Amino acid sequence: MGTAMNSPDGSAVCAADGDGDDPFSLFRSDRVVSRYPEVAAALGALGEAYLVRAGRILAGLDPDEVLRAHPAVPAVTVAVTGHGTLSQLVPALTAELARHGLLLRPFLGAFDGYVFELSDPASRLYAAGAELTLCVLDPMIVFDDVPAVWRPGDVSRVFEEKLAVIERLVKTFESAGRGTLVLNTVPLPGIFLSRLVDRRSRRELGIIWREANARLLRLADDHPRLSVIDLDPLVAEGIAVTEPRLSVYAKAHLSPELLARYGREIGHLARQVTGRAKKCLVLDLDGTLWGGVLGEDGIEGIEVAEGHRGEAFRGFQQVVKQLGAQGVLVAAVSKNELEPVREAFRGAPGMTLAENDFVRIVANWRPKHDNLKELAEALNLGVDSFVFVDDSPLECGLVRRELPAVAVVQVDGEPALHGPKLLRDGWFDAAELTAEDRTRVVKYREEFERKDFLDGFDSLQDYLRELKVSVRLFAAGEPEVPRLSQLTLRTNQFNLTTLRLQKPEVTTLLKDPASLVLAIRSGDRFGDNGLVGAVFLRRADEVLHIDNFLLSCRVFSRGIEQTCLAAILDHARDTGAAAVAGSYRPTAKNGVVKDFYPRYGFRAVGEDGEIAAFRHDLGERLARPEHVSLREDFTGAGGAL
Amino acid sequence: MNSTEEFVAMLREDLALPVTAADLESGFDDLPGWDSVHLLALLTAVERRTGRMISLPDLLEAGSLREVYALVAH
Repeated sequence: MGTAMNSPDGSAVCAADGDGDDPFSLFRSDRVVSRYPEVAAALGALGEAYLVRAGRILAGLDPDEVLRAHPAVPAVTVAVTGHGTLSQLVPALTAELARHGLLLRPFLGAFDGYVFELSDPASRLYAAGAELTLCVLDPMIVFDDVPAVWRPGDVSRVFEEKLAVIERLVKTFESAGRGTLVLNTVPLPGIFLSRLVDRRSRRELGIIWREANARLLRLADDHPRLSVIDLDPLVAEGIAVTEPRLSVYAKAHLSPELLARYGREIGHLARQVTGRAKKCLVLDLDGTLWGGVLGEDGIEGIEVAEGHRGEAFRGFQQVVKQLGAQGVLVAAVSKNELEPVREAFRGAPGMTLAENDFVRIVANWRPKHDNLKELAEALNLGVDSFVFVDDSPLECGLVRRELPAVAVVQVDGEPALHGPKLLRDGWFDAAELTAEDRTRVVKYREEFERKDFLDGFDSLQDYLRELKVSVRLFAAGEPEVPRLSQLTLRTNQFNLTTLRLQKPEVTTLLKDPASLVLAIRSGDRFGDNGLVGAVFLRRADEVLHIDNFLLSCRVFSRGIEQTCLAAILDHARDTGAAAVAGSYRPTAKNGVVKDFYPRYGFRAVGEDGEIAAFRHDLGERLARPEHVSLREDFTGAGGAL
Repeated sequence: MNSTEEFVAMLREDLALPVTAADLESGFDDLPGWDSVHLLALLTAVERRTGRMISLPDLLEAGSLREVYALVAH
C-alpha cells in the first residue's frame, strides 16, 4: 500500500510493479485469471480512480476462461443497448460486478439499436438471454429529433412519442425477453435549458422534462420486470451529465463518469437479482456509532446527539435505525465491556438507537473476525451476507484479510461522511419490502430466546415438544407472491435447486394449471415465524415434480421440512401420482440439503451433470414428526394439482 | 507527454493495452485488442495527465498510435 497509491495521477503505481504490497499488481499480472476469486477483495481495497482501469483489464479477459478456472464464480449476462455509443460502459460494468464477486458476460448491441433490438423478438439482443438488459436512455433521444429551432412544446411532443415507443418496447420485452429490463430517467443538461432566453420557457421545459421522467419512473409500477434507475440523484452528487466533445464527435451522450456511476447501480441490481443482497449490518461502536471512547469518556462523555460531532453521529444512527426498520439485521461488535455498552444504549441522553434495534450486541475483547464468525453461526447466515462498518483501519484490514467475504465499509474521523459511505453501495437494496422485512429483527431476537430455551433441555426431542411448532402448508395466492419471490432470491442454504424467481415468474406459476406453489408459514410458543418456506410443484404425466423446496434458515431442523415433505408425498398418493421426483443442484452454500431427499426415502436415480435426481415411489409413507402440528390446504387460491 | 516511452507506459497503465514501442507504427486495424472506444478513454487519460485539451476530431482521424502521439506530444 503506502504512498504510491496516493499519487494523484496514478503514475507512481507502475513503479511498484510486482510488489506484493501494491493492490493494483494483481490486475497487471498475467495471473489475474488464475487469481480471479481474489479480485473482489482487491477491488474493494482500491480507490475509485483505479476501478475503471481495473475494469478495462478485466473486460479483456475471456469470461469462459475465467469460468473454466473457477466454475463457482457466478456469471451474469448483461445486455447493453441504447441510443448512443455505449462501449465505454462495459469496462465500468465489468469492474462493478467484479466488486461483488460476479463475472460479467457482456452483450453490446448495435449503435443506436435499442428500438430495433427490443422490438424484434428474434434479435440478437433477446438471443443473448441476459439476466439484465440495459436500455440506456440519454437526452439526445429527444434532442436529436426536435427541429433546429425548437420550443418547449416541440420537446414535449418528441418526448411523448419516445415514451410511447419505450412503453411498446417494454411490452415486447415482457413477452420476448427474460430477466429484468433496466431503463433510466434522462437528466436535462443545462446547455439545452440555457438556449431558451426567457424564464417562462425555461420553467415550461423544466416541467415538461420532469413530468416525462416521472412517467418513466411510473412505468415500473405496471411492469414488474422493469427497473428504472433514477439518474437525477446520481447527477446531483456532482457528476456531469454530458461531455460535449464526446457527445458531438463520438455520439457518447452520457459522460464517462456518469456511465461509471450508472454502472455501480447496475452492480447493486446484479447482486440483488443473483440473490446476493446483504442481510446484516454489523457496526463498531466507539468512533463509528458515537464519538469518543465509552470506556474512557463514560456514558455522559460520548458524543451521540449534542454538539457538532454529536449531531453527525446522531445522523448516522438515524440512517442505521431506518435500515433496521426495513428488515436489515443490525448488530454491534465492539471492543468494550458489555454492561456499559448496554447501559449506554439504555441511558445515554439523546441516543437514537435503542438496545432492541439490535439483533445482537457483542462487546468483548476478542478479535472481531472471531466475533463475526460466531454471530453468523448464531444468526444461521453466511458471513458473506454481512456488511461491517468500523473506523479503525486496523480492524477493517483484519476483517478483510480473515473474512474476505465480508463487505467492509471503512469510515474515518469525519462522522458526517459515515452515512454516505455506508449508503453508497446499496448493500441492502431490494425490489420490494414484505411484511417479513418489517419484523425481521423481532423474529431473529425471538430466535435467540429459542436458543436459550433449548439450552435448558436435556434432549432435542424434549425441546421440540415444548416448542409447540405449528405449520401451515397451503396453496399460495397473489398476496404471497412478493414474499415467495423474495425467498427464492434471498435463501441460499435450504434451497434445493436455487431456482431464482422474480415476482412475475411466480405469478405465472400460480396461473399455470400444471403447477402448484405451496407456501409454508410456521410459528411456535415464541411467536409467529411468518412465511418461511415455499415448495414449487409441477405435475407431468403421473409424476409430481418438486422443482424447488426452500426454507428460511431461521427455522431449519425443527421438523418443518419433514412435515411438509410428508404432506406432499401423501397428497401425491391421494391424487393418483405414481411417484414424486426431486432434484438437488449443488451451490457453494446449499450443502446442508445435499442429502435432503435420500434422508426421507427418495432413491437416487442418476445425475445430469451437476444436478442429482431423486425419486420416491410412494411405497412407504414418510412419518410426520409428532411434535409438529400441521394444517394443510392444497386447494386454496392457487388451486389443486 | 514528453516521450514515446511515457506514452506507451500510459497506454499500458491507464488503458490496459498490451502495447510496446514497436506497435506505435502499426495501424489500429493491426493492433491487438484495439477498439475505437480506446480513443475516448485515451482522450480522458491524456488530458488528466497533461492538463492540456486535445482535439477529439483530430484524435478520431488518427490511424495509428504514432499519429496519436503526434497530437498529444508537446
